[in-house]
Amino acid sequence: MTFTGLIGRLCMYPLTLIIRACVRLRIHPNILTFVGVLINIGAAWTLGLGHFVTAGVIMVVANIFDFIDGKVAFELKAVSAFGGFWDSVIDRFSDLALFLGLIYLYSTLGRTDYVMVAALAMIFSIMTSYTRARAESLIAKCKVGFMERPERIVLFMIGAFTNRMAGVLWVILVLSVFTVADRIIHTYRELREDRQEAIA
Amino acid sequence: MKPAPPLPLPLRILWNAFFWTYERTTWQYDLMVIAILAFVWLTPPDWLGDPMAIGSGPVGWIVASFRQ
Repeated sequence: MTFTGLIGRLCMYPLTLIIRACVRLRIHPNILTFVGVLINIGAAWTLGLGHFVTAGVIMVVANIFDFIDGKVAFELKAVSAFGGFWDSVIDRFSDLALFLGLIYLYSTLGRTDYVMVAALAMIFSIMTSYTRARAESLIAKCKVGFMERPERIVLFMIGAFTNRMAGVLWVILVLSVFTVADRIIHTYRELREDRQEAIA
Repeated sequence: MKPAPPLPLPLRILWNAFFWTYERTTWQYDLMVIAILAFVWLTPPDWLGDPMAIGSGPVGWIVASFRQ
């Protein structure tokens, strides 16, 4: 087993208990999604104030809600097209909120350079999601590129807990640029193959 | 996504790292995670001009100890 797989399994145990509790209480998954974004806005607020460890703790709580909503929907047999759409839209708000918190923090510190790094990382993070969503309206699947939302969120937490947010922002920025490029190239190749097959 | 022409090994590693097609919980994913964590934790905050972190970090201490 890989070590990321082991970490995933270890985290899954407490999450399973929380999922069971939500299922027993019959909490609607869309409400869990919405509570997640509200807590994430709290995390963004604390990031903006420079309280990284507090922000990290709040992010952990917020992302528990983010993670379990789909599983609770499955257990409650409440999986719906709107639920998926709602989850994706709310996730974007959560992402934007966290970046906005950092942009506010760096602007109050007078660090225009890091305002730009955070803003660019925010743009490419959103573009990562957009390119996949748009590509999958044209081709079957566009799940390429490393820097997806779970990686971004875990990196945010690592940056907050260990006070290494600058390094984390650079990683998110560079790998998000490559992820977007990867998805554009992948979609281009897939569409070109389809066209060649249609001609042949 | 694989490059059309065959590349030498170092370039192929770089290509596969940036044009990522591996799933999570593969050894390639673990390796990437280790590389990212090494960059985040070992790069001296001073080198990145980190507005919040203080000090030069583990690599900075090693570099400083060699300078002394």
